[in-house]
Amino acid sequence: MTTLIVIDQAPYGSWAGREALDMVFSLAAFDQPAALLFMGNGVNWLRTAQNAKGIGQKTVEKNLSAAPLFGVEKIFAEHEACKRFMPDTNSRLADIELVASVKDLITRYDHVVFAG
Amino acid sequence: MSTKLSYTLVITGAPWASQAPQTALAFARAAVSAGHRLDRVFLYGEGVHLASSLCAPPSDEPHWPQQWSDFLSDNQIPGVACVASALRRGLVDEREQNRYQLPAHNLRSPFEIAGLGEWVDGTLKSDRVLYFHGSA
Repeated sequence: MTTLIVIDQAPYGSWAGREALDMVFSLAAFDQPAALLFMGNGVNWLRTAQNAKGIGQKTVEKNLSAAPLFGVEKIFAEHEACKRFMPDTNSRLADIELVASVKDLITRYDHVVFAG
Repeated sequence: MSTKLSYTLVITGAPWASQAPQTALAFARAAVSAGHRLDRVFLYGEGVHLASSLCAPPSDEPHWPQQWSDFLSDNQIPGVACVASALRRGLVDEREQNRYQLPAHNLRSPFEIAGLGEWVDGTLKSDRVLYFHGSA
C-alpha cells in the first residue's frame, strides 16, 4: 500500500505541516512506502537558507532533510507553484521531483492524505 | 446485499473551532446504522481537543466530546488521541501526567492516548480511511 502525504500550506503558520511530516515519517518507520508532495503555498517548505530564529522555531528545512534518512521514498513538488514562488532554481532544495500534473501523481497512490 | 466496509476515521479539526467532529459523528452514526464497521477513530492535530474531559459548553449547546464518547462507548469503538499532538495541546492521561509531572490529567473516557502507529495500522487494515479536517 502506497501513501502520498500532501502539504499545501506554507510553513510556520501552524503546526499542521510539521504534523503531516510526522505522519510520513511514521509510515516509513513501519516500512510502509510513503512520499511527500508539496503544492500551492506548500512549496515554500522547499526553500534553501531558511532562518526561523526570529520566530523561535527550528527551520522546516532541517526536518525535511531527515526525510530520506527515515526512508521517505520521494519528495515531489508542483512545478507551477515552484515557478511562481521560487523562479530561481538555486533557491530550492535539491533532490525534489517536479510534477506537472498533481492529478496524475495522486492517481498513482493507494492512499492520499492532505495535511489537516 | 450491499458490501459492508471497515473504516478508520481521522479527525484533525477541533470542536467549536471547526465542524470536523460534528461531520465525522454524523458519518460514523450513519455508517454503523448501515452495518459498516468502524475499526478506530483517531484524533490528530487540533482534533485531540475532542477528547478533553474539561469542556463544559452551555447546557443548551451541543457537547461534542460528550456525544463522541457516548457514541464510542455504546458501539465499543476504540478512540485514540495521538500522543505527540495531545501533549502539545495539554491533553494528558494519568500516565502522561505522572511522566511529565503535570498538575492534572484530562483525558475523557473511553479515549486512549497512543502513537501514530495506530493510524498506520488503520491505513493497513481498514477498507477506507476518512479524514475530517478543520479549516485549511
